Amino acid sequence: MGTVRLARMAMACRFELVLQGEDEPWLRAAGEEALREIERLEARLSRFLPASDVSRINTRASEEAVAVEPRLFDLLKQSLHLHRCTDGAFDLTVGPLMQAWGFYGDGGHVPGADELTKARLRTGMHLVELDEEHRTVRFAHEGVALDFGAIGKGYAVDEAVRVLREAGVERAFLHGGTSTMYAIGKPLDAQSWNVAVVDPRSPDEPVAVVAIRDEALSVSAVSGKSFEAEGTCYGHVLDPRLGKPVRGALLAATVSSSAATADAISTALLVHARPLAGYRSLIIRPDNEGSPPRRILHHGILPHPMPEDILPPAPALNGHSQRTPFSL
Amino acid sequence: MKDRTHGGLLSRRNFLKRSSLIPLSGLLAQAPAIGADARRATFQDQVQAAVIGFGPQGRDIAATLTRIPEVDLAAVVDTYNVMLRRAQRSAPGVATFEDYREVLDNPDISTVFIATPTHLHKQIALDALSAGKHVYVEAPMASTIDDARAMAQAARDNPNLIFQVGLHARSHPNYRSVFQFIRSGALGKATMTRSQWHTKESWRRASPNREREIAQNWRLDAEVSAGLINEVGTHQIDPALWFLSKRPVAVTGLGQIMLWDDGRQVPDTIQAVFELEDGVPMLYDATLTSSFDAAYDTYSGRDSTIMFRDHRAWMFKEVDAPLLGWEVYARKDKFYKETGIALVANATQLDAQDISPTEDDPNLETPLWYALRDFIDNHAFGPYPPAASYEVGFQMAVITIKANEAVVQGTRIDYDDALFEI
Repeated sequence: MGTVRLARMAMACRFELVLQGEDEPWLRAAGEEALREIERLEARLSRFLPASDVSRINTRASEEAVAVEPRLFDLLKQSLHLHRCTDGAFDLTVGPLMQAWGFYGDGGHVPGADELTKARLRTGMHLVELDEEHRTVRFAHEGVALDFGAIGKGYAVDEAVRVLREAGVERAFLHGGTSTMYAIGKPLDAQSWNVAVVDPRSPDEPVAVVAIRDEALSVSAVSGKSFEAEGTCYGHVLDPRLGKPVRGALLAATVSSSAATADAISTALLVHARPLAGYRSLIIRPDNEGSPPRRILHHGILPHPMPEDILPPAPALNGHSQRTPFSL
Repeated sequence: MKDRTHGGLLSRRNFLKRSSLIPLSGLLAQAPAIGADARRATFQDQVQAAVIGFGPQGRDIAATLTRIPEVDLAAVVDTYNVMLRRAQRSAPGVATFEDYREVLDNPDISTVFIATPTHLHKQIALDALSAGKHVYVEAPMASTIDDARAMAQAARDNPNLIFQVGLHARSHPNYRSVFQFIRSGALGKATMTRSQWHTKESWRRASPNREREIAQNWRLDAEVSAGLINEVGTHQIDPALWFLSKRPVAVTGLGQIMLWDDGRQVPDTIQAVFELEDGVPMLYDATLTSSFDAAYDTYSGRDSTIMFRDHRAWMFKEVDAPLLGWEVYARKDKFYKETGIALVANATQLDAQDISPTEDDPNLETPLWYALRDFIDNHAFGPYPPAASYEVGFQMAVITIKANEAVVQGTRIDYDDALFEI
């Protein structure tokens, strides 16, 4: 039994894949095909590549219904469903807001009131019309722009996992930028793949160790791309309902059978700053004066190490999800 | 709606831009320029098509066809059931078959796209033409000269059927634009070309089924594969020869297995030097061992060098080259110590649409889309010889298959004129 490690840059992050099995050339071949699939998806989903499907939609959909290939159309439908499940906290149309806050450039800036109002008018999944019969997408407003940043990596991980399973891989771990990951089976030396979730402010101590096996974990955080203005730090994750960077949470993690779902839900958890019914989660809220240095809300993902006074699970927002709540 | 208030103002700067950008406009070399409305009006019926071979390239073809409204993907053929399951995701409800002959027997299907392993192209193409189908076959056309010649002869003998080879550059507006640009003398005297394709991967495929795995790894089997220069180099060598309108008279090659020593016979690292007519050298370099600097092509001459990367072009002028005028307004991009002048296809059209003629066309499509668009247009307005015709595909097959022989043998091979006879 051996281990093969592969990595590829795509979607502005490093995808890394660990495969275990007996035949290393075979494992490498399977892994390479999975990573190629991720590259192919980047070529379709990137809003920065002029010939991508998403660029084509963003350029044309306000003027005409744009035909979309079936797999992308399914992803649009899934995104709409997740938008509803999260009470609008996950939203593909944050592109104009991201632009207004300058997060598509090198830095960022606080937009003026008019600029923000204009961007908010162009934001919202109600502006995206999907025609199932003709498999087309059309925008109700000029200037609407799709941005798959909050689901694309997860979708790519799901599709890569599909390729690995088709090839017969039974033990593997794949992550994109350490934020969205999927575990196939279990590693050679353990019963599950154990992932440490760290507080971005003190990365040496994990706040949770999440054991995953044949499921996905996604972690979203406000750290990373951010800027400071007048003493306030603004992160790149936006609340599409308010048109502003999220403030209520520093980090959110969730587990799901689908990496795309986990990716979108972890973003929504960050926006809501509290659990959503039907999704296991762990949320780190920022320091508040007079309260503990950080507050960890857990809802199916236990903090690590457990505090002496064990916190009760946090109540969850109902959202619109019809899923059966998890059981601890 | 876009604000066109100032679109009609003909300032001196706009005038200069428009007049001087004319040499860059994408003159379509061999295909008619057709507006979308006119195109649809002339299609009597939807083109009913089948994709044969549903690996990555077949899947890309199927996905791209969903964006060409005049085509219905009626069937997908693959000998492996996993691929047929994928077909149902890519094209829900599509008919699937394991034997391509079932598609050829269907009179409703007029057109086939062949995206199987290269060595399987010939028989499918010959059978398809015999069955009266239009054929689009991925490049390279074949892995032996005999196969390529048989396909070219069959295409020649069926002038009422469209036969297009998947040499995508021939349909791409950026390449067509640069073709015109080079032909207008932008390089000065052409002196050399250089292309590389660098990646780090084993080129091996995995399958849970041993028999399937052997079939999937045809690229690594020297019995049926003409190696990197045929499978990959074809797409880079073809534009170079097209731009310079030259044919090689000889090739010297070198090939090694430098990293993936896993029992394969096909080199993972190759170099080839072609001598073109008039003595212009063309260097080609490909490896599976290093991804450094990825893939690009340069065409050099006395006055400038033109570089293609990711299907976009830049010109690097020599200091002593004559001024062209328009370059003052063109976008400049830095490449380490060099400054490249972006060559934008259809610049005058973009300018007329109030889109900056110095930026890339926001309506840019993938290279495959342009190739398939050309092929489908030919159904309505042809048949006329496609830009990537059987002659072009055959010539490229001869060039790269002989180059592979030179690589494998580490020798020099002359291209006798007789090799190019169909």
